[in-house]
Parts: sequence; C-alpha cells; structure tokens
Amino acid sequence: MQSINKGLPRAIGRRGIMTGAAVAASGLAMPNIVAAQNKGAIKVGMPSVFSGVFALLGQSSAAGARMEIDKINAAGGINGLKLELITRDSKGKPDEATKVVRDLVNSEGCEIILDAETSASAFAVQELVRELGVLCIHTNSETTSLTANPKLFAPTCFRSARQGIHDAIGGGRYAADIVTKKNLFKFVTAAPDYAYGRENTASFMEYAKIFQPKIEVLDQAWPKLFQPDFTEVVTKIINAKPQALYTALFAGDLVALIDQGLLYGMFDKMETFSVNLGDYGVLTEVKQLPSGLHSGTRYNRIVPETAENQAFYTEYTAKNKDHKICNWSWENATGATFMIEALKKTEGNTDGKKLAEVIKGMTIKSPFGTKGTLTMRASDHTVIDYVVGYGVTIPKDPFIKDVYMADWGPIIEHEADWKKRNGFG
Amino acid sequence: MKLEALLACFGQMSCVVTQSTSALIIGMLLFLVASGVTLIFGVLNVVNFAHGTLYMLGAYIAYTVYQPTESYFLAVLAGAIGVGIFGILFERFLISKVYGQDVLMQLLVCYGVVLVMDDLVKIIWGVDFRKMSMPVAFRLPPIRLGGGLVPPFYLFLIIVSMVIGLVLWFVITKTRYGKMIRAAAVNPSMVSALGIRTPVLFASVFGLGAVLAGAAGALAAPVRALTPGMGFSIVIESFIVTVIGGMGSIGGAFAAAILLGFARSFGSVGFPLFVDGLMFLIMGLVLIFKPAGLFGRAPR
Amino acid sequence: MQKNTLARDLAFAAIGLVALLCVPLLGSKAATNFIIYVSANGLLAMSLNLLVGYTGLVSFGHAMFFGAAGAYPFVLLMQNLPIGLPTGIILTLVFAAVLALAIGAICVRLTEIYFSFLTLAFQMLIYSLMMNLVEYTGGDNGLSGIPRPPFLGINLADGPTFYAFACTIFVVALVILRIIVMSPFGYTLRLIRDNAQRATFLGVNVMRTKLICFVLAGVFASLGGIIMALFAAGAFPSFSFWTNSGDAIFMIMLGGLHVFLGPVLGAVILQVLNDVVTHYTKHYGLFLGLLILTIVLGFRKGLLDFIYDRREAREQSALSAARKKAQD
Repeated sequence: MQSINKGLPRAIGRRGIMTGAAVAASGLAMPNIVAAQNKGAIKVGMPSVFSGVFALLGQSSAAGARMEIDKINAAGGINGLKLELITRDSKGKPDEATKVVRDLVNSEGCEIILDAETSASAFAVQELVRELGVLCIHTNSETTSLTANPKLFAPTCFRSARQGIHDAIGGGRYAADIVTKKNLFKFVTAAPDYAYGRENTASFMEYAKIFQPKIEVLDQAWPKLFQPDFTEVVTKIINAKPQALYTALFAGDLVALIDQGLLYGMFDKMETFSVNLGDYGVLTEVKQLPSGLHSGTRYNRIVPETAENQAFYTEYTAKNKDHKICNWSWENATGATFMIEALKKTEGNTDGKKLAEVIKGMTIKSPFGTKGTLTMRASDHTVIDYVVGYGVTIPKDPFIKDVYMADWGPIIEHEADWKKRNGFG
Repeated sequence: MKLEALLACFGQMSCVVTQSTSALIIGMLLFLVASGVTLIFGVLNVVNFAHGTLYMLGAYIAYTVYQPTESYFLAVLAGAIGVGIFGILFERFLISKVYGQDVLMQLLVCYGVVLVMDDLVKIIWGVDFRKMSMPVAFRLPPIRLGGGLVPPFYLFLIIVSMVIGLVLWFVITKTRYGKMIRAAAVNPSMVSALGIRTPVLFASVFGLGAVLAGAAGALAAPVRALTPGMGFSIVIESFIVTVIGGMGSIGGAFAAAILLGFARSFGSVGFPLFVDGLMFLIMGLVLIFKPAGLFGRAPR
Repeated sequence: MQKNTLARDLAFAAIGLVALLCVPLLGSKAATNFIIYVSANGLLAMSLNLLVGYTGLVSFGHAMFFGAAGAYPFVLLMQNLPIGLPTGIILTLVFAAVLALAIGAICVRLTEIYFSFLTLAFQMLIYSLMMNLVEYTGGDNGLSGIPRPPFLGINLADGPTFYAFACTIFVVALVILRIIVMSPFGYTLRLIRDNAQRATFLGVNVMRTKLICFVLAGVFASLGGIIMALFAAGAFPSFSFWTNSGDAIFMIMLGGLHVFLGPVLGAVILQVLNDVVTHYTKHYGLFLGLLILTIVLGFRKGLLDFIYDRREAREQSALSAARKKAQD
C-alpha cells in the first residue's frame, strides 16, 4: 500500500485544524442548517421509497396525493395558503424513515406528515410522531396491528390505507363460497417471507377456515422478497398436490411465479386466489394470464362501477403516464383528502391535536367507498367502508369480471371478534 | 426443518426428477453468470462487482428487442452482444484504470457503475417491473419423465447453457486465443513481451465475461421480472459460486454452480428457511478449509 | 515525542468536544441530528479503518458488529432485563468482543480477497439467522422502543442530554483509538500492512496481532451501533446488512484511509450527500455513482489523502528547490 511515512505523527495542530475545518465546512454546506421558513404555504412531508425495487410505492403515493393537493391549490388553497408536498426517499429502511421524518419536520418545516412508507417503517414513524405531535396519516401500511393494537395508539396518527384484517374477512368469505361450490378444500400458500406476507396469509386462511371449516392447509412456501427464481416454490406447490392456492405475492414476484408456474402446468388443476393479481401494473405486464384466477380488486376502475370512480381513473391515468394506477394511488389520494377536509374545518390551523380532533370520526365523500363515502373510525383511527372486492381476472380491460364486493356489516362484526381474540379489546 | 419431507422426496422418482430439473436450471444459469466472474478474475485479477448490472442489461436489452420483433433468438443475440460491447467500453474506460490497484478501488469503480446504471435503467424503462413474454414456441405443457415434470423451456435453457459452457471450455483450452488468455493469467508481462497486445486481449476477456452475463440475463428474461436493481441478488450468488469453485477456474464454477443448484432445490424441501444461510455456510467452510476453492489455484 | 503528541491530541479533542457541545446553541435540530448520525457512522468507519487503513485487512462484513453485535443485543438487553444503561452498554461491548474473537480467529488466517469474502459470508450468515429468529429480532420490522432509565442523574430520554452524551462518547472513543493507533501496537499494525513477512522476521506474532485488531475494531463498531440504537430508538435489519458495510468502506475511501480522521470526514461527506442530493433530485444513485467514479478516477484516493499528498508533494518540491538554491 502507501508509504510508511503516512503513519508518522505530524504537527497535530495543522493536521487537526485542517481536518476540523474541512469537517465544519462540509457540515455547514448543508442547506438544512440554514433553512428558510416559507410562511406562504402549508408544507406536507411525505416519506416513502423512491429507489430500488420498491420505487413504484413512492411514485404512485406522491402522484395520488398530488392529485388532491393540486385540486385544492387550484381552488385557491386553504384560507389562501397553498399546500406544498415535499417528498423524501427513505430507501425502504425504517431507521432512515425516522431520520427523514425528523428532517422533514425539523428542518424543512413540514407541519403534517403523509406517511407513505412501507409497513415496517410505518411502525417506526408512528413511534417518532408520538414524540413530534404532528398530524400523521399512514397511507400505505396494511398491517392490522398498527391501529388495532391499543398499545401502539398515538393520538395524532391515522391510517387511510386498507387493513389486512378487512381484506382477510372479505377474501376469506369469497374463497370459502367458491371452494364450497366446487368442493375443493386442500390449500397450499405462497407468500413473501416477511411481516406482510406472513400476516396476510395467516389471517386469510384463518377466515377462510372460519367460513368453511373443511379447508385445510397442506403446505406453505415462503420465498424471499424479490428473489428471482421461483422454481422451488412451484415444485413445492406441485408436490403437495393441492386443490387450491392462496398467494400474497405481488408485482414482479407474482408475475415470475405465474410465468414459471405455467411452465410446469401448475395452474391446470388448481383454483388460485391471488389477492394482489388484480393490479393494473401486473395485469398489463402478464403476457399469459391463466384463466379463472381469482384476485382482490385492490384498485379497479369498475369497482365500484360509478362515474366518480371512472373519473378518478381517467384523470390519474392522464396525469401519470410513467406508471400504472394502483392500490397505493387511491390510498394516498384518500389520505390527502382527509387532510384537506380537516384543514378546511380548522381553517388552516395545522396543530396536530386540533386536526386529529376533526379527523376522528370524519366521513368524506369518496369514489372508493362501497356506498360513496369513507369514514375514519374514531375508536382506532383507521378508515372503513372502502371497497373490499374480489373477482375473476381476465386478460383485457377492465381486467376483472364476476365482481363480489364484501358487505361491511359482517366485516365489522368479525373484526371486533378478532380483536377480542387477540387481546386488543 | 422438514427433513422427513426431504427423505420422502429422495424415495419418490417423481420428486427426484422434478427437483433435479429445477436444480439443473438454477445451476446452469448460475454457471453462465459465474463463469464470467471467474474468467475476469482469473485473467485480469479484477473482482467484477458490477457483474449483476451486466446481467440486468442483458435482460432489459432482450426485452426491448423482443417487443417489436417477437424473436427470442434476436433478443438473446442482442442482449449478449449489446452487453459485450458495453463490457468492452466499461473495461477500456474504467476498469483498465484500476488494474493492479487494491480491491477497494475496483470495488468503488464497480459500485459507481452499478449505482449509475440502476438509475439509468429506472429512467429509461421506468420504475415498474417489466415482463418479457414466453416465446410462443415454448408455450408447451411440461414433459413427464418418471412421474416428474420437466418444462421444455428449462430443458432448452439447460442445453443452451451446456453448449455455451462447452464452447467456452473449447475456446480456452484448444484455441490459440485461449492459450493467450491462460498465459496472460499467469504472466501478463511475458505475454506482452511476446508481442501480443495485452490491452486488446484484456478488453476481449472482459467483453467475453460480459457476453456471458448478458446472455444469461437475456436467456432467463422470459421467466424473470425485470426491475432496476435486479442484478444485486445475482452478483452475490455468482460470487459465492466463484469462491466455492475457485476463482479463475471455469470448471470449478460449473461444479460449484451445480452443487448450489442442488443445495437450493433439495434444500428448499428440507429446510426452506435456511437455504440462503446454507449457501453462505458452504462458502464459509470452503474459505476456511480450502480458500483456493474446490478447483482453484492457491492464493497468490 | 510520544507524550508531546498525546498532549496535543488531548488538547485538540477537548477543543473539538467543546465546539460540538456548543452546536445546540445554533438552535438547529438538523445540525445536532446530523452530528449524532456522524458520530454513530463515524465510529463504524473509524473502527473499520483500524482494519483497512492501518492493518491492510479489508473487511466486507464489518456492519455485523454495528448491528448484530451492537444495536440488536443492546436493545434486547434493555428491553428484557431491568438493568441500567451503563450495564447494558458494557454487556453489549463484551458480547461484541467475544463474537469478534470467535469470528476473527477464523478470518484472520486468510489474506486479501479471501479474508474479505469470508467476513462477508459471516455477516450474511448472521443476518440470515437474525431474520429467521423473528420472535427475538422482530424480523424485517426490527425492534422498536428502548427503555432509557436515568443513570447517575443523566436522563438520555431528554434530547439535549442525549446529544451531549453521544458527542462525549464519540470524542472519548476517538481519543482511545488515537492512543491505540499511535502506540507500539499501532505501529505493529502498519508494519503488518506494509510487509507482513518482515514483521514475522522481527518476531511479531502476526496472527495474534491481527486478531487483537479485529476484536478492537468489532468493539468500537458495536459502540457506534449502540449510539445509533439509542437515537433511532430501536434496532433495524439494515444496520447489519452488507450495504451498511459497503457504506462504511465508502466513508473511508471518500475521506482518506491514511489520515486518522479521514473516515469521520467520509462519514460527514456521505451524510451531506444523503441530505443534499435527495433534497434536489430523485436520482440519488446516479449522482452518488458519478461522484464515486470521479473521485476514484480523478483523485484516485480519499479527499484528505489527496490533500495531504498534494501538500507533501509541494513540501518536497519546495525542499528540493531550497536545497538546490543552497547548493548554488
């Protein structure tokens, strides 16, 4: 390597001061330390993932929120103040997410946080927001315990995303009905090996069994998230000789499973329930869609089949040519809508507690509700009455047929029961 | 741990056939990628951390060519050659500047390129994943062999990979070019003294390694989801293969790739959650007991 | 001569600590947060440089001591045992030392790229185990929330107190590292880096020295992980992933391997880049990649190395010019 001379101690004074100066200079070069406060706008911070394999999360979240924010700004803003969305990339790391949220609030002057983070990071953000006290709406995390667990409750945090337990109840009912009709009860599951995959699969199968006790799970495959090769998963499924498959795989992983599964004729003798298949990004890229696959509707322009929903679809697609509309799009638009309606009520006051008081229990008109509205439930700060749908996928637009929209009455009942069983009160 | 399942599998012909096929397909694709890594290290003494990026480019180029032409053959050719050209440029302008320097410099150059290319791919092709469809010729039901299943497409890939491997072996051991490469691996200055233009030789070796990676990416594209950053997992696996097989030994890379293919395929039956850990464990054991790898030469 | 430089080093450290403690007076939370990140990551980089810059051992897996032997055990201890923070810290550091001893004993037998790969293998193996033991480590969610019982009247749940604590630990650790590096042991490390054979001829037990260095590096990295765990209020998988090891290597390369505080400067640069670049563009990777390529191909060494080499070259040419003048 280099010459030995480098190691000899030189005048620490010169070296040290130079280094110190270099360190200080580069530190001060940051714009954050000399942050200018812009009083002319309400700044909304959005931490999310904008790089790597999950980059679509951030892109669609920002696009969904912007749709609503642009609308209100065009109408003059809130009490004359425009809303400004500031996005930051946390690269999918929970510790980075907390750092980003800290920066957004402390140095960028954000007074509200639209947390478009992954479920893992959302927990970390919730902890931090408890300390910071700003209004925070989680727009993407579907993990039930985020709002169901009373120990995690934070007064200024809300969730505008769908919840795992609701999907599990609705989907479980749908699947139970189908397999009962067709007399198929032996299941195999395949889901990505991380919190979302495991919880989603567990609750779906739990409810499928509640609605149809004859259902049994023969085997379970847990591929790593984003692993390229699904051959072992396919062979495992085939070896188990199941009658039905439930998979929580999504995006590229799901398509890879389908393509690789087709090579083995995996779908020939099996009823498949794939909760994340009915996504435009997936269905437009899957070149060979096996027929008869069931999927959750996530977001679809005909579910519900209303003019408002179609209008949202048309507007979003026109404004965002670089990616397809997806589940995250509507969840973030909804979060932004709740935020905007709350700001209207507080007349622009961004105090976390005041906004929280107003959002609690708020009902808004929405194209994504089963009856045209969405409500932010006061007891646990999560949104209800959104569409929980399932149907059969088809290769052409609108990509879904035989749509079933779950009834919220039974969902709420079962949810309450689930909470009791899991010690959540 | 489901060891009974594993033992049960060994007892059934159908399971053995199915799992072995999957082992071979995993192994052969791994071999294609790893052979490039080991070739580049053996001759140029460079650890190519950007190899996964070459694989990714091969897949994306193949996808782009396939869309208008619907020709798998053209797509693979374009992928392999396109990445080969990129590899040569990469070598001439960047890698050659760090020959002889320590591994940290090589790591940095490669990592810089990986970062730049991942973002460029995102900018050009978008953040959404892309999917290349299965060529119509291969949309066939699986072949039944001894009760087990063998997809024709995978059979094709295995055969093509073996052919490529054999051609590679032939080139390296039987041709004059191969002799030059082997000589340069042992004593580059002597090769130069003999009048052979080493810069051209080195560029061609790197290009060859790149072609192998690009071909692997293009060949596998019909069954893979293309995302920016898809090279990451490939590069880790190919390094494990290279280390186990022996850095610089193509035969070693082949053996190690097949070994890992079987470990993954049968391992996922017996202990599905520890398959990744198993690969690192094997690599660790090899490094501890025979650092040169199963077939490599002793470390300099 | 040794005592002279020690006095100067201590004086400089004291001045530095006072300067850091004055930063909160600027009223910028961004500044204090920035410094805390730099102190945690800086310790990771400085500890790695013991191995890389001073001994010539390039470890690709160093983050395992930051995460799996630092942040995680610390959080687990504090969450599950009724112990005070100083006890928790000491226990974690002991655990790190033991783990480093075990892993180092195997790794230091190898050299060059084989050492690097083996450390990577260990790190990924440990990571894989950690991710599988979901009940203990929280899997990909990590562990959230860390009890901070006050000790000796110091309450780390209070922001400014924690900042002072982190700065003090950081500076004290740097002083200890400086003493190590300037000691005969430190010179032995450099000797091994430059010519291991000569070291053996001179009677040095190369294997044992490398192992001691490995353990020291592991312990200091663990300390960095503890600071990070306290700040982030938890332990997360990325702490122990190979990309964190990679970041540490870049910090060293950016700042300079052969200047003592080089890695800290590298940590600052990387942190600044993180903040500044993401402020202006989505394409963080593109800019970071181009920057790395420029530094590697343009400067060919870390920033401080470059500055010092330029200065030394100028000094040499000034010296030789002066000599020529004297001769004329």
